[in-house]
Amino acid sequence: MPPLESDLAAAQAAGNNSSDFVRKLYKMLEDPSYNSVVRWSADGDSFVVLENEKFTKTILPKHFKHSNFASFVRQLNKYDFHKVRHNEESGETPYGRDAWEFRHPEFRADRKDNLDSIRRKAPAPRKAPAAEDAFPATQQIVVLSESLAATQHQIQALQEQYFELAQTNKVLVNEVVSLQKMVRAQSQVSNELITHLNNIEDRRRSSRHSAHSSHSSHSGPSFHPGALGLLPDGADEPAPELRRAREILNGVSADSQADRELERLSVAYHQNGSPAESGTSSVMFTQPGPGPIALVHDPLNDPRHMVYPVGQTTGIDPFHSDHIHNIPYSRPLSNPNVMAEGPQQMTTPPKEQGESVWGLKRPRILLVEDDKTCARIGSKFLLNMDCSVETANDGLEAVDKINHESNRFDLIFMDIIMPHLDGVSATAMIRMVAPRIPIIAMTSNIRQEDIQTYFNFGMNDVLAKPFTKDGMIRILKKHLSYMLKDPQPAGLVSDDTGQHVGGPGPGPGPAASSQTYGGGGMAGMTIATIGTGGQVKFEQTPVQSPATTSSWHSPSQMTHTSPNVDNGGYMSAVGSGSGGMVLTPGGTQRPQFANQVVPQVGTPNIGRIPEGMALGDDRPEKRQRLYGPSQGSFVQ
Amino acid sequence: MPDFGDHVDNTIFSQILEMDESEADRDFSGPLVLNFFDQAIETFQKMEEALAEKDLDTLSGLGHFLKGSSATLGFNKIRDSCQVIQQYGHQLTVDGSTEPDENVCLQKITDALKAVKVDTKELDKAMKKFFEVTE
Repeated sequence: MPPLESDLAAAQAAGNNSSDFVRKLYKMLEDPSYNSVVRWSADGDSFVVLENEKFTKTILPKHFKHSNFASFVRQLNKYDFHKVRHNEESGETPYGRDAWEFRHPEFRADRKDNLDSIRRKAPAPRKAPAAEDAFPATQQIVVLSESLAATQHQIQALQEQYFELAQTNKVLVNEVVSLQKMVRAQSQVSNELITHLNNIEDRRRSSRHSAHSSHSSHSGPSFHPGALGLLPDGADEPAPELRRAREILNGVSADSQADRELERLSVAYHQNGSPAESGTSSVMFTQPGPGPIALVHDPLNDPRHMVYPVGQTTGIDPFHSDHIHNIPYSRPLSNPNVMAEGPQQMTTPPKEQGESVWGLKRPRILLVEDDKTCARIGSKFLLNMDCSVETANDGLEAVDKINHESNRFDLIFMDIIMPHLDGVSATAMIRMVAPRIPIIAMTSNIRQEDIQTYFNFGMNDVLAKPFTKDGMIRILKKHLSYMLKDPQPAGLVSDDTGQHVGGPGPGPGPAASSQTYGGGGMAGMTIATIGTGGQVKFEQTPVQSPATTSSWHSPSQMTHTSPNVDNGGYMSAVGSGSGGMVLTPGGTQRPQFANQVVPQVGTPNIGRIPEGMALGDDRPEKRQRLYGPSQGSFVQ
Repeated sequence: MPDFGDHVDNTIFSQILEMDESEADRDFSGPLVLNFFDQAIETFQKMEEALAEKDLDTLSGLGHFLKGSSATLGFNKIRDSCQVIQQYGHQLTVDGSTEPDENVCLQKITDALKAVKVDTKELDKAMKKFFEVTE
């Protein structure tokens, strides 16, 4: 058929009005030798194909260069020939049952001159070609359903792609938001420092001026350069570095429009993503077998992305830890057999943890830490607390382990800065398959913005580095209270550990230390409570069963504070405390801004400096006190 | 508990010693500490190389790395020097303000590295004595 059509097209393109096809047709009918196969009807107003097969095999190739009867019929149709249907009732089929009679009002044996008026129909509304009527309906259905299936596959593939892209996008947006936060934090810190340094300068300058009374009139910031000659060190000029730094900082104004967009996106992601993901968690957990599970959970099992229902269990898995730990019946308080299993218990009986504090099951902890020394010490502490410990050297390994068995661990300690995959990203990934497991950031980076970032990415708490055993105990008791043999009310837990943490220092702590951290109760891990503008971020206390709270996007949630943590007290203590602003000349402590609540640097600050300096001496006991358990002095 | 002077934070270090089963057999802290010194010496080596290549990023990373383990052991002097290296590797002063001059940073790191090597040697000696290891 294609050659035929192109022939025609060529003929028409040649500008010949009459149609090749019609001429050929007429010519063919002029040949009397075909009479038994194809001929004009008796009236000469139609022609009849008497023997279909013979016609197709011998005449069509000769005149139309093909042997496809269906094509021939289609061609006729295009020229508005119509098959003549014979009335069944009359019973007359003048040319036999298999004959095909075609008619066109202008196509007559006696009107050869009229052939030009037979034109190809305008590309009119396509009628179903007559030939295809021959296809059985079932076959059409098969074809249709096949193409439908293909389309379905395409849609599904597209959806998977879409899902992946959406996930990537989400991670990227979050990343950008957290980076922005970091940048903001950094510039805030820089501002603080500049202000602070300015103040020192001011003070120094003014004291100088009081000494050199002749220059007192020049004490303004726009100091007359002429005076420099009289002041050997030229210190009266505001340090150019400070000025430059401030200019640079001021010059970088954030694109608030883009920021808002991002904020909106990230909020939207959190709203859309999180609940749905937790909702599907039970699906994930019911997946049998330890087979390789995709890093991002399988979109096919995510009902949001299903076009067609598949036979997945979407019900509640009663054995998932969320539920099994919340059985409202009392559990046996201890199980000697299980306790005997702990080798650590056998090896360290006389130590503090004389007997296991855990109930039925020892907590299984994943310690993610790239530094071997830290990992060994951490593991040792945990073993000593009668936990079983596994370690991962970096974020990738951790994600791997969780992907392999998402509910293997009861709690994760996660370093932040690691090769291959950092702790925050690893957490974000782990959250996709294990939404509930407590993940504790272990970091020396405990500034409020960083902590906010950790929380935003699904971490539950922070353990400051260098970590202490007591800090770890506190975390375990807080987040795994449901596993304790003797579940303690929140107050007891924090009281207990608070004292522990405050305790180990040699001798009674100087007043400055308790001021800094708002007392022993805070010393261990105040970080969790540090909030923006006084917002309390105590994400949960053991009063509630950790498993029942949707804990991991907790920063936005206002939950109650631990009874013994007086947040207001802490804040005010920090505000007046000196620890935050200590500048040790020649020392290595970086001033920490764990609390961004004191951005204003005024006279009180100046008053603090000598105090801070006095405290910044290098006697280790004091430093331990100041920077001790909640080590705050490191950057990253 | 011997006195390591300002080298060691006693509170932190004693916690690690407590992890030993007995004071006679320091089978946990001993290898841990000795291992740390191996790690430290290895890190210093890498730092020298990075210094030669003026690779501040690597220096900062190495500083951070050793800072973590020294802090966890309570080895404050080493930790503080590592902090200096990390900071200047980021072209920041210890107080966190920017130090735009790369050469200043490299110089500060060179000094800190020199100091930390001396400190480490001293402490290594004291620790080996404490753990009764002969070289």
